Amino acid sequence: MSGFVDLYTAGDTFLHRMDPRVKMLAVLLFSLLAFVLSELIHLVALLAFIFLLLVLVRASVSRTMFALKFVLRFMALIMVMWPLFDPSGTPVLAELGPVKVTVPGIVHGLTAAARVGCLATVWYILIFTTAQRDLVRALVKMGVRFDIGLTLAISLRFFPAFSFLIDSVMDAQRARGMDFAKGNILTRSKNYVAVLAPAVVTALRMTDTISLALQSRAYGARADRTYLRDLRMRWSDYVAASVVMIIFAVPVFARFVLDIGV
Amino acid sequence: MIPLPEADPGQRIVSLHDVKFTYDGGVEALRGVNLHIRNGEFVAIVGGNGSGKTTLAKHMNGLLRPTSGEVMVSGKPAAGLSVADLSRVVGYAFQNPDHQLFCTTVEAEVSYGPRNLGYHGPELSRRVEYAIEAMGLGGFSELPPLSLNLGQRRRVSIAAVISMDPRVLILDEPTTGLDAGEIRVLMESIGELNREGRAIILITHEMKVVAEHANRVVVMADGRTVLDSDARGVFADLEVLAKARLVPPPISLLAHRLASSGISRDIMTPEEFVFDMMRARGGP
Repeated sequence: MSGFVDLYTAGDTFLHRMDPRVKMLAVLLFSLLAFVLSELIHLVALLAFIFLLLVLVRASVSRTMFALKFVLRFMALIMVMWPLFDPSGTPVLAELGPVKVTVPGIVHGLTAAARVGCLATVWYILIFTTAQRDLVRALVKMGVRFDIGLTLAISLRFFPAFSFLIDSVMDAQRARGMDFAKGNILTRSKNYVAVLAPAVVTALRMTDTISLALQSRAYGARADRTYLRDLRMRWSDYVAASVVMIIFAVPVFARFVLDIGV
Repeated sequence: MIPLPEADPGQRIVSLHDVKFTYDGGVEALRGVNLHIRNGEFVAIVGGNGSGKTTLAKHMNGLLRPTSGEVMVSGKPAAGLSVADLSRVVGYAFQNPDHQLFCTTVEAEVSYGPRNLGYHGPELSRRVEYAIEAMGLGGFSELPPLSLNLGQRRRVSIAAVISMDPRVLILDEPTTGLDAGEIRVLMESIGELNREGRAIILITHEMKVVAEHANRVVVMADGRTVLDSDARGVFADLEVLAKARLVPPPISLLAHRLASSGISRDIMTPEEFVFDMMRARGGP
């Protein structure tokens, strides 16, 4: 259960080994690229490239499906709905009252869906290949204040703990005859209170304990904190960063400098 | 007190037949458990951390469903019944009371369960009053549960289950974190519930409590029941206990050490020890 809350999966692929700062740069640039590209064929190519990465990092199919389930549904929704509300261009395939389905409308729908797919998958790959502590370490290294980084790390760390807590509370209330599937809206909202109230109280207690534990381990004693493992860029990281920047720069240059539609 | 429905005292109320359970992550928590709980028994389930005690207990009220095997409750297969249905027969008080307390008064907290089961009016009040009384919470009805101390909160969480009037009451480590006085108060109430005819299933690491209260002990190790006997028999079997990473109460250990001087090996309480020592010395 908790394994599905933290999507990171330990591995030894080139993306697992890559410096998290390079990965964050790549994700940002690929996300921007998904907006820069406007032709369906180019977005499909980008999507194919991102899926190739997914294969290369040996992402398990079931995990990926679990993580991207909502995105896939969203993509399907876009593909179906877009043509119904975009009557632009010709040829017209079907017409029913105000609703007009055209070939460009369908292409626009597919383009938007491919764009969403690129964005979601590229972020998923980052989370799949990067431990949360490495993400936070990278942020701190890039100048985010340590206490903010730590706050983020603790929030991420306690996400699984909180989901475990919710499960436990739900079990306890079900053992007292609570049935989530039954009852009117009033009973159901009461059921949510029965789950959320103990969960929030326990979570607050947990927070209090953590802050005391941190303080008793000399949190904040020195401003210049040292680290056990320091992030260091290796030559392969520089190569990867360069490749990412080239992949990003070419279409941007083509579109904004040469004015070629991409 | 609510008279319990007619039940044959020796009748099986919860039965597990070759129950196996594997968690989603692939952990085999139960590897074929056969266990029958009879009306009115006081059963302690003991074993090291991760031996499968809680997983086993959660099968008795349907919170977990076996990967294979069958669970019978009141003679009916549990598979066809919801947790809410099963909660009429099998009550389950969780280890951490703070995982279930959410109401603004103890009384409201205790009435949540029976209201879920559809009780109202005088019958509801009777159940709530009975449960509050049974757990010694008489003066606390109008107080917010979260303002009470741990021992009291735990008693509220148990009262909240008792008010549903289950024939079987599962208590998951109810003595954790309590001082000796609180444990005594709690266990006296539990003992009384047992004398009323309810079967008690106590999951615990507290061997002293087991020795004093349980009339049957089930030892679990590695997802199996490795010993199922009366408490006396279990504490005499140091070998199996060691395998299950358990240590009998100090007084039983002392009796084992002094066995060569004629003290019996199956001592469970200091009183028994004194009595046996006198016997060994040839009378008072």
